[in-house]
Amino acid sequence: MQVMSATAITNPNASWLNTRGMWLGYLTSVAILHFILLSVPLFSTAMAWTLTHVVHNVGMYIMFHHMKGTPYPTGDQGDVRRLTNWEQIDNGHQYTPTRIFLTSVPIFLFFLASFYTFHDRAHVTVNLIALAVGVIPKFPALHKFRLYGINRY
Amino acid sequence: MRIIISACSVVRDPRATPKPLLQQSSWSSLWHLEAETSEAMSNGSAGSRPPDMTNPGRPRAQESFPEPPLMKAVFTHLSYGILILLGHVCDFLRKLGMKRDPYTEALKNEDLFKMNLDFEMFFTRNIYRRIRDCWNRPIASAPGAYTDLVDRVSDDCNWTFRYTGTKTNCLNLGSYNYLGFAENTGPCADAAYQSTLDYGAGTCSPARELGTLDVHKKLEALVARFVGKPAALVFGMGFATNSMNIPALMGKGDLLISDQLNHASLVTGAKLSGATVRVFKHNNMKSLENVLRRAVTEGQPRRLRAWRKILIVVEGVYSMEGSVCKLAEIVRLKKKYKAYVYLDEAHSIGAMGPTGRGVSEYWGVDPADIDIMMGTFTKSFGAAGGYIAANQDVINYLRGASHSTTYAASVPAPVAQQIITSMTIIMGDDGTKEGEKRVAQLLDNSRYFRQRLTEMNFIVYGNEDSPVVPILLYEPGKVTSFSRELLKKKIAVVVVGFPATSIVEARARICLSASHTRDMLDYALKEINEVGDLLLLKK
Repeated sequence: MQVMSATAITNPNASWLNTRGMWLGYLTSVAILHFILLSVPLFSTAMAWTLTHVVHNVGMYIMFHHMKGTPYPTGDQGDVRRLTNWEQIDNGHQYTPTRIFLTSVPIFLFFLASFYTFHDRAHVTVNLIALAVGVIPKFPALHKFRLYGINRY
Repeated sequence: MRIIISACSVVRDPRATPKPLLQQSSWSSLWHLEAETSEAMSNGSAGSRPPDMTNPGRPRAQESFPEPPLMKAVFTHLSYGILILLGHVCDFLRKLGMKRDPYTEALKNEDLFKMNLDFEMFFTRNIYRRIRDCWNRPIASAPGAYTDLVDRVSDDCNWTFRYTGTKTNCLNLGSYNYLGFAENTGPCADAAYQSTLDYGAGTCSPARELGTLDVHKKLEALVARFVGKPAALVFGMGFATNSMNIPALMGKGDLLISDQLNHASLVTGAKLSGATVRVFKHNNMKSLENVLRRAVTEGQPRRLRAWRKILIVVEGVYSMEGSVCKLAEIVRLKKKYKAYVYLDEAHSIGAMGPTGRGVSEYWGVDPADIDIMMGTFTKSFGAAGGYIAANQDVINYLRGASHSTTYAASVPAPVAQQIITSMTIIMGDDGTKEGEKRVAQLLDNSRYFRQRLTEMNFIVYGNEDSPVVPILLYEPGKVTSFSRELLKKKIAVVVVGFPATSIVEARARICLSASHTRDMLDYALKEINEVGDLLLLKK
């Protein structure tokens, strides 16, 4: 893996989520996470579903909306150093298939979690908060938005 | 999902290529100009192929870029996921002080200034470092068909290397040595040696000051004759030939249409020029025509005036994919829409065409139809530097306006002599058939190697006639093992992975040479076959 190389694609972070097998790989990882949580004897099915949803959304928030820049040096002289992974996808273009897919996964998980917890009030509250954490940062209006300067640098 | 996509397609980036409304919505739409290269290429190269009007009798070489099989792609993603997870665990343990390695030791040193951000070096530190013995291997001989690799071992997981003092003579499948001129004996070496005695090592001056010697004049005339253009200009560095001259030719109000996978030198030149840059999908002539049509009909973005000029920038052979540009079609489009063509033949000059004159000869296109032909001397001539060949007017202008001729040192005399001698040999002007033999040997090698690999069921990209053969490996573990296993068998290959290539398209890039004999290739193929079975690389 040449870390420094002369290519025209300056930021691989913009396009690696569009590659073949990413969606299936992503859903497989979510499924693996779910099965791990299901196999813990302490958790009931409802708890496992809520935990899957919450852990997935929190992990997604950290990966896509908190960590900034790239884990490798890019060829664009650090243009994207202040941008989160979500903001870098497809170089900032909105409503692309990848963004729509990644927005719909938390929503889909929310439906599944609500269903499997029989819409129990406590679970739904937790799931709603998790849904907010998962979906609100992805709004196009919040592109490059930093609340009170948190996570700006 | 398709409904959402088509509803959202009203939000468009004006800089992207348009999509006909009734076309089937594919994932390779206007946002994916940088991604899904294999899908774009398979869309472009399959299907309608216009007849070769210039040479109807020529059999058409096949070009294929099969998409990664789904399961391999998924496993590749999962592999990288596991590696990244383990990397974060390692970083966490380092922070806690539970893991000590040269990185943490270096951090403790207060005097050392941190030049890189921690997170930016994550990939290098945790993934690349573990397997970095596969890259940057030092060699101790000329990079010909065989080369001496300096043996090195690491006692601390590749943080540092220790030389054992021995060398291994390996079959060299990784060097850009297309015509086998990377040798330190023979007529080229003798002539270069004599030139060093006559002229010294370098010119130490730009071409416009004291840096133009009689060898340069000879070289420029020879290059012009070789390529088939009226005049040529040579520069000391191949990358700089593109990045310094495109700004001299293009400016504000011009349009530069460049292939998706153009080399960084072309992209740098395009950015420096100040012209508007639009990208078309790799080797996809429909995409190019769409971009041209849109540009000609709409004009400049805000002023809506006509573009001052339109330049289509393509490469002859794309070294990472092994694909060959569809030059006949590009020339047809350029004439239809009254644009100009800039052809970068870095990998194809000397390597393509019956007498090694490049892709214009390969496709049977008249060099007069290509406005600016550029190339480098690094690959096929065993030298360094680049050239630009065009009409006398363009060359006269570039002599004065190019950054290279004004500020950069010109080609050193021994290097110029090396190019002159090798080019004379290739053209057959030295009276022997050596050049003809080498060009034919290269083509034979390329076709044979690729054909045998495809028969063995490896996934190979590229054009049948191109001397660059990428074998797809996909998973990062296989990339490493392929390189190491072949090194054990004394074969040196170059492997490339993410982030230099797409994340699912890690590959081993084999560069064939005229100095490879059939026996060498058979040995290599036998070993690659065994490694392919071991690593499950075959279809």
